[in-house]
Amino acid sequence: MSFLTPFYLLGALALAIPIILHLLHDRPKNKQEFGSLMFLDKTQPPVDRKRRPSHLLLLLLRCLALLLLAFVFARPFVKVDDPADATRRDRQWITVLLDRSASMQRGDLWEQAKAKVQTTLGQLGPGDRFSLIAFDDSTEPLAEVKSWLGSRSEAEVNLPLERLAKPGFGGSNLGQALVLAGESIEGDEPSPDDLGADEEPLARREIIVISDLQKGSRLGDVQGYEWPTGIRVTLEQIGEDDQGNAGIEQVASRVPWATAEAAPSFRISNSANGISDELEFLARTTAGETLSQTVHVPPGRSRVVELPGEWAEKSIDRLAIRGDVAEFDNQFHFAQNRQQTVRIVYIGEDKPNDAEGSLFYLASAFQQSTTLDFQVEAVSGKSSGPLPEADLYVIGDAVDDPLAQALGQAIEGGSTALMVVQSPGQAANLRQWLGVDGVVIRDIASRDYALLESLKLDHPVLAVFRDARFSDFTNLHFWKHRELQNLPDEGIDVLARFDSGPPAWLAARRGDGQLLVMTSGWTPADSQLALSTKFIPLLYSILQPVLEGKTQSRQFVVGSKVNVTRFNNGQAGGDVTVMPPGDGAVAISVDTFFTPLAPGLYTAKGSDWSETFAVNLKTAESRTEPIVMNQFKKLGLPMSGSVASPGDIAAAAAVGKTEAHRREYWQWALAAVLLFVTLETVLAAWGSRPAEPVMTA
Amino acid sequence: MEISSLSLRARAVVEGFMSGLHRSPRTGFSTEFTEYRQYSPGDDVRFLDWKVMARTDREFIKKFEDETNLRCTFMVDFSKSMEFGGDDAGVKKSDYGRTFAASLAWFLTQQRDAVGLATFDRDLREFIPPRYRQDQLKTILGRLETQPAGNATDLCQALEKLASLVGKRGMIVLVSDFLSPLDELESCLSLFTAAGHDVRAVQVLHPREVDFSFEGAAIFEDMESGQNLILDPGTAREAYQERYNAHNAALDAIFSAQGIPGFRVTTTEPLERVLQRFLEERPARAVVRQRRSNARNAA
Repeated sequence: MSFLTPFYLLGALALAIPIILHLLHDRPKNKQEFGSLMFLDKTQPPVDRKRRPSHLLLLLLRCLALLLLAFVFARPFVKVDDPADATRRDRQWITVLLDRSASMQRGDLWEQAKAKVQTTLGQLGPGDRFSLIAFDDSTEPLAEVKSWLGSRSEAEVNLPLERLAKPGFGGSNLGQALVLAGESIEGDEPSPDDLGADEEPLARREIIVISDLQKGSRLGDVQGYEWPTGIRVTLEQIGEDDQGNAGIEQVASRVPWATAEAAPSFRISNSANGISDELEFLARTTAGETLSQTVHVPPGRSRVVELPGEWAEKSIDRLAIRGDVAEFDNQFHFAQNRQQTVRIVYIGEDKPNDAEGSLFYLASAFQQSTTLDFQVEAVSGKSSGPLPEADLYVIGDAVDDPLAQALGQAIEGGSTALMVVQSPGQAANLRQWLGVDGVVIRDIASRDYALLESLKLDHPVLAVFRDARFSDFTNLHFWKHRELQNLPDEGIDVLARFDSGPPAWLAARRGDGQLLVMTSGWTPADSQLALSTKFIPLLYSILQPVLEGKTQSRQFVVGSKVNVTRFNNGQAGGDVTVMPPGDGAVAISVDTFFTPLAPGLYTAKGSDWSETFAVNLKTAESRTEPIVMNQFKKLGLPMSGSVASPGDIAAAAAVGKTEAHRREYWQWALAAVLLFVTLETVLAAWGSRPAEPVMTA
Repeated sequence: MEISSLSLRARAVVEGFMSGLHRSPRTGFSTEFTEYRQYSPGDDVRFLDWKVMARTDREFIKKFEDETNLRCTFMVDFSKSMEFGGDDAGVKKSDYGRTFAASLAWFLTQQRDAVGLATFDRDLREFIPPRYRQDQLKTILGRLETQPAGNATDLCQALEKLASLVGKRGMIVLVSDFLSPLDELESCLSLFTAAGHDVRAVQVLHPREVDFSFEGAAIFEDMESGQNLILDPGTAREAYQERYNAHNAALDAIFSAQGIPGFRVTTTEPLERVLQRFLEERPARAVVRQRRSNARNAA
C-alpha cells in the first residue's frame, strides 16, 4: 500500500496530544516556597482518582477516529497489477543523433558514444520505432527500424554502426541535425487511420543526442525553428571532463589576391580550461626537417604567430602544436600559395615611360605581389600580328583590322576590354564592337572641368565604391571628355554621366565578355583619375571576375567545396584528378567541385600541371569545452532533464501507468471515521448518565 | 506588623512594653559591674582602691566592667530562608526577627546602652560595632530595613568572623531560624561564651515550619538553594515533624551546654511578650560563672 500524500500521516501524531496532556496533569501545578527542605524527602504524590482514565473504550474510539482521519488525508492506494498491462507497452519513437565530428576523436569518446547507443537499444521494446542518424557538418541516416523486433533489429542497427569504426574529420552542426530530426519525425507522423488493427499509436517521441556537446558545435539552425510539440530532446553528454584544448589556424586575408607581402601568420588559441600556457609550435619541411619554437598562450587567450623568416624560406608542408591534452587537431597542413599570372594587354601607341600617356599609369597600377604576377604588354593598334591572350585588354587608340576583329571576337568569347575613347577616330572600333551603326564621337569643348554624376554604384564595376565613405567623386575633375552620339538605348549600361549630361562610363555585355568604355581617359591631359584614389580600385574592380576565376587559396577545410577548375591559373579545364594524402590513396577524378573528407595535403593533377592544396579541420572543432546547458533552454528545446538515463524513462512510464491502475481506499477510511464517531457519541451519551464525569484524557 | 516602618514598629513595641514595665519590680540587666583583683607590678596605681588598702592593708585594683552599662551586638540572619511566611499564616520570619532586633535596640538605646549590628547569610555580611551615639540607632534601623538576599546560611562561619571583630565583652543576641546543619555550631558559639560574652539566641520560626500544615501535593522549592521537591504534605508531615523535633532538641542541647538562653518564637507570638520574656531571663553569664566556680571548687 502506498500513499499519495504521505505527509498527512504526520497528523496521526495528534494522538499523542491527549496522552501528553494527561501526563502533564499528573504533576502538581502549584509551587510552594519553603524555607528549608532539610527535613523533607521526596514522596510519591497519590494518584488522583479523578485523573484516572475511566472510559478506556471511549479513549480508544476517539484515538482511532483521529488516526483514520489522518489516514484519509494521506490518500492510501494499492497498485493493481493488471495482467493485460504487463504485456501491453506504449510505443515510442527514439531517434538517436550520434555525433561523429572530429572532436569525438578525443580519448575514448567514440567508444563511450557507441556504448550509449547500445544502452538505448536495450531500452527498446517490441513495436518501438528507432532511427539512428550520424551527424557532423551534414547528417547521414545510418539505420531506421519502423517496428522493433528485438535482437534481429539490433543486428540491423549494429551493422552500419560497426562500419562507422571512427568518427570523421568534419565540423559539428548540431542545430542542423536537430532540426532535420525534428522535421523527419513531424513529417513522418503516421495518422491514426494508417495504423494497423493491433498497432498502438506512438506514445512518446524522443530525440537522444549522443555528443560531446562541444562549444564549437553550431546551433544556429535551431534558433529560428519552431520546435514541434510532443518531441522531447535528451542530451547524453560524453566527455564533460574536458581538460582543455589548443587549436591552430591560418590568419588569411579575405580575398586571396590582396594578401600582403608578409610571411603567413597563424593564430594559436588555448581554451579557458587549458592545462598549460606553454605550447610548442612546430613546423616540418618537405625535406623532413623539424623546426620548433615555444609560444606562450595563457588559457582563454589566443595569439597570432608569424612564421619566422628563416622558416618561411624553407618549404614547409606541415605545422603542429604540442602541449595540450587532445591531439586530434594539433596538425596543420600547409600549402603555400602559388603566384598566378595575370596578363594585361594595352593596345595603343603609348610609350611605357611616357608619363603623359595611359600605359605608364596602367603599368604602375598593377604591382606584383606574392600571389599575383601582373604582365602588362603593349601592342600597337596598327599591328598586323595576332592578338595576344590576355585577361584584360585596354584599348587606348584606334585599332585597325585585323586586330580590331580579333579583339571583337575575344570580347564575344569572354574577355573583358576597357576602351578609353581619346579621339573621334575610335568611332569605327566602337561601332564594330558594339554592333551599332551611327555612333559618333565628338570632342566637347569646354573651358570648365566636368564632374561625374549619376553613378550606378550597384553595377559590379562600381560596387567597390558603394560604401558612403568611398562614393564621393566630386574631387575628380575631368578636363577633357568626348560625347558618344547615337548610342542605342538597350544593351548598354551607363555607369556614370558627366554633369553636363553625356555618358562618361559605359558597360556593354557582348557575348560572354564585356566591353567597358570611358569617354575620358586617365592621362593628366584628360583628367585627374590616374592620380585619384579611385583609379586602382576601379581597375581591380574591372579585373575582379578574372581574378576570382583564376585564383584561389590553397587552404581548405574538411567538408568545403574545392573548385578544381580554378587551379593552374584558372585554366584547369578537362580531366582533373585529385590525389588524396597517404601512400595507398587512389586518385579521384573530379569535374568541377571536390569535397575533401579528411585533412592532409591533396594534389590536383591535370594533363600537364599539378598543384598541391591543404585541407585542415574546422577551427571550431578545437573548441572542445562543453556548451553551457542553459543555451539549449534558451533556444527553446523541450529538454527532458539535462542528462536522463533510459532507466529514468522507464520509471516515468511506470508512474504514468500507476496513475491509471491504482485503487484508492480513502472513501472506506472516511466511512470508518464516521462509524467510530457515531459509536463514540452513543457511548459517551450512555456513559454520561452516571454522576461521574467522563475523562478520556 | 501593619506598620511598615521598622523604627515606628520598634517604638510601638517598646512603648507598649515600657508601659507594662512600670508595674514590674525588676529593672532588667542594666548592671554596673566591678571587681577587685590582686595588684601585680605594672598595674596602673591610679586604679588602686585606697580605701580597701587602708582597711585590709592589701593592694586591690578596682576594675570597671565597662565605660557604659552594656554593649549589645545583634546578629541577624539575612538569608533567604528568613523570607518564608508573609501569607495568611502570619508575618515573614525576617520581618519578625528584624522587628525584634529593632525593638530591643531601641529599648537599649533608651537606656543609653551601646548597640551594634551584624548581618550574615553564608558569611558575615555587615558589621556595625556597638556604640552609644545619637545616630547609631538610625544607622542600625536603616541596615535592618534592607532585604535579605543570601542563598545559604552558615552561622558558624559568621560567628567565627564576628568573634574576631567584637573585642570587649558584651551581649550577643543571635536572631535566626537556626534551620541549618548544627555540626559545628557548638564550637563556634563557644568562641563567644569562652570570651565571656553574654550570648542569647532567638530562634524565629513560622507556624507552618512547626506543624508543616500544608494541604495538597505541590512542588516545594527551597528558598535558598532553589531545589525542587514534589511531595504530598499529608504523607510527609510525620517524617518532617520527627526530624524537626530532633533538630530542635539538638539545638537546645547546644544552647544549654554553652549556657545560652534560647528563645524559640513563632511569628504569630506578640512581640511585646517575647521582649518581656527576653528581658526577664537571668543573665546567663552568671550561670556560666557559677558553673566555672563550681568546677574550680571541685578541682
